[in-house]
Amino acid sequence: MSSSSYLTEGIHPPARTAHRLSVLAVCMVWPLIWVGGLVTTYDAGMAVPDWPGTYGYNLFLYPLDTWVLGPFDLFIEHGHRLLGAFVGLVAILIVIASLRHEPRSWVRALSVGLLLMVICQGLLGGMRVVLSDRTLAMVHGCVGPAFFSLCVAVSVITSRLWWRSLDGNILSIKLAKSHLFLAGVIFALSYTQILLGAKVRHVLPDALAAHFTLTVAMHITVGMLLWLLSVCAFVGFRRCGDLTLFRPVFALLLSVTLQMTLGIGTWVVNYGWPGILGTSFIRSIPGAAEYLIHAKGFWDSVIVTAHVAVGSLILAISTMLALRVIRTRHLLNQSTTTKSLPEAENAIVSASKAFS
Amino acid sequence: MRQAESDVADVMRALFGTPSEPAWPLEILPDIDLVNLESLRRAAGSVSSEKDGTHLGLFREHCVVCHGISGDGQGPASQFQLPYPRDFRAGVFKWKLTERSEKPRREDLRNVLIRGLPGTGMPSFSLLPGEDIDALVDYVIYLAVRGEVERRLLMGSVSVMGYGGEPLPAEERLVYKGDRDDAEIIVDTVQRVVQQWESAQDTVNAQAKTLSGPEDLDTSSSVERGRKWFHSKTANCVGCHGAEGDGGIETLDYDDWTKEYTTKLGISPEDQVALQPFRDLGAHKPRPILPRKLRGGTLRGGNDPERLFHLINHGIAGTPMPGVAIVEEGDGRGLSEDQVWDLVSFLRSLNGSE
Ligand code: HEC
Ligand code: HEC
Ligand code: HEM
Repeated sequence: MSSSSYLTEGIHPPARTAHRLSVLAVCMVWPLIWVGGLVTTYDAGMAVPDWPGTYGYNLFLYPLDTWVLGPFDLFIEHGHRLLGAFVGLVAILIVIASLRHEPRSWVRALSVGLLLMVICQGLLGGMRVVLSDRTLAMVHGCVGPAFFSLCVAVSVITSRLWWRSLDGNILSIKLAKSHLFLAGVIFALSYTQILLGAKVRHVLPDALAAHFTLTVAMHITVGMLLWLLSVCAFVGFRRCGDLTLFRPVFALLLSVTLQMTLGIGTWVVNYGWPGILGTSFIRSIPGAAEYLIHAKGFWDSVIVTAHVAVGSLILAISTMLALRVIRTRHLLNQSTTTKSLPEAENAIVSASKAFS
Repeated sequence: MRQAESDVADVMRALFGTPSEPAWPLEILPDIDLVNLESLRRAAGSVSSEKDGTHLGLFREHCVVCHGISGDGQGPASQFQLPYPRDFRAGVFKWKLTERSEKPRREDLRNVLIRGLPGTGMPSFSLLPGEDIDALVDYVIYLAVRGEVERRLLMGSVSVMGYGGEPLPAEERLVYKGDRDDAEIIVDTVQRVVQQWESAQDTVNAQAKTLSGPEDLDTSSSVERGRKWFHSKTANCVGCHGAEGDGGIETLDYDDWTKEYTTKLGISPEDQVALQPFRDLGAHKPRPILPRKLRGGTLRGGNDPERLFHLINHGIAGTPMPGVAIVEEGDGRGLSEDQVWDLVSFLRSLNGSE
């Protein structure tokens, strides 16, 4: 396999600033999701009842000491708003940078979409506070990961790797339609899983027990499916000949495995060991029969919030994987549709000459 | 039946408001010692918090996923739990220091909230501020009183007032207006339920208070004697909890909350078809209650000697776990006080708190 730095050597894609800013956005949004998850875990969403101000102050001018030294609820809720606002500023810069330097119109459109989305997300969060509405909180929780995924998408399609040319390294990659299919299904299921997770987390107080049970069953089933597909992808991409595809697949398998563990942990710290699994089963797990839930425990909330954040991370990785597979197959298709096989082989030879 | 439900619901709204906007019938119960109205307001309604960090809507924040809005124990996550979350409306509680048939004291409920119940879904809320716990206790009492009054009125309306057949004409329907006979039934029901709660608050459980364990509590000789009583015919703890308290006895029995819509109505808990109408109303699938494996286990109600004495004497309300009568001399009908203390020693030895 070839190393990715070799692959991208000598490529000078346009719009470097937009790319760097989108990477910055990715790095800011993941912490934002952590803080947002904490807000829900601590039910602090209504700690600041007004919006867009904080207790009448402008968002950026809220007194630092009251914020940092005040109640924990207020600390995380106001922090969440501040961080969100900074991500909004970065999104504005991305639009400016790509409008100036980005040649592809669809990418420029996407960057504008990114900005619109962060604005919507802010409005949703604000409306959730002003209307004190749990359903809006759930929608806000679903748009967050989607926005994260879009940030990843923008940084993938503006990356150096995207612009790599049709050379010998690419032509030696073996990517079947099934690879594309697998990456697509994993992406779709990752987001489905986030929607289901949000339904579990933001359950309405008057929801029917039977509905909740069904949602949980679906969340667990899709989780297991996702894990199986990650194993399939691990096997399938190992021999594809491209590290830039195999690495995300490996990260995916690791994070889905971690996520299943965190998922079980999240269940237990919220609802205890499910008694319906049977008394003898529970007694066979050390400590389970005596397990005591501690509401609002610190480590408990870290587990829950980590589960939420790793869910978004899985979506981000699967976004990256799907886009790279699409791109690589696109390059490969170009080569096979425009050239017959011997010609393609010639192309390999000449391309590798050109590089060496 | 529909008519009865909606008429009773109207009466309930007039008396107690709704679980989201609670009220207390001050005209019937002018002096309120039992609950604090301000607490009820804080615990009810949707979740929010104030600038100083005070949380509102406490019940929805902490309890509703399991116990449900009206406290019926049918909250969204309830199906996963065994035992099922408590249905407060029956007014029966397990972990208390009052007599088996009595209501719990505030302090009992408070202890459950703070300690939690290990091995069940019931969390410990020890990290919440004390005033939140107090407000939640008030609210649990409110839901329990409200639910029990509602259910008694429903039953009464069918058995006494003739609901359930043809729809009743307006003048025969249950209404809560000061100058009619119904009002008396209603006032009576409310007062009776509240009276039970209030009298339980005053029982300082004379026995548990004055009792303190004998000198030789927890000594090996006391444990040995306790082991003998545990396996004896009189106490017959072994019949349910197995030899040495090791469990493993599959008694096919159900708790009272389940029996209410099964065996008490002559329906077998396994008869899915007959149960369907109740299941459609949200009733849980009956699941047997198992006697606890006592050796090596954690006791849900705690290990305190006085509490264990009380437990052996009164059993656990709402469950098959019986109480043992305390008699002057062990004579086959019960155990003497000393024998119960020996049993306490034995129980404490089982989970390593000697
Ligand atoms: C994760 C589920 C869950 C949550 C959340 C929960 N409970 Fe419970 N609760 C239970 C279960 C299960 C039981 C039954 C335990 C048993 O039968 O021993 C129970 C029992 C109780 C009891 C009855 C104790 C007794 O003596 O019989 C009270 C009172 C109670 N809960 C109050 C609350 C309050 C108040 C809250 C919120 C602050 C709350 N619960 C939150 C699951 C829960
Ligand atoms: C008819 C069966 C039966 C008999 C007889 C019986 N128990 Fe139990 N016991 C139970 C059941 C059922 C439970 C579980 C109750 C629950 O958790 O809701 C229980 C629970 C307990 C607990 C756990 C309490 C806690 O705090 O967690 C102890 C201790 C106990 N029994 C002791 C005894 C002793 C001592 C005797 C004899 C004097 C005895 N039991 C006789 C059925 C029985
Ligand atoms: C790949 C697998 C999984 C992914 C991607 C995933 C993703 C998520 C996400 C994103 C949320 C939070 C949504 C929000 O806050 O808006 C969530 C919630 C939740 N998930 Fe998962 N999940 C997975 C597997 C599991 C498994 C196996 C379980 C085990 C039971 C589980 C249990 C839960 C629970 C209990 C919640 C609710 C948390 C709460 O109420 O605070 N998850 N999940």
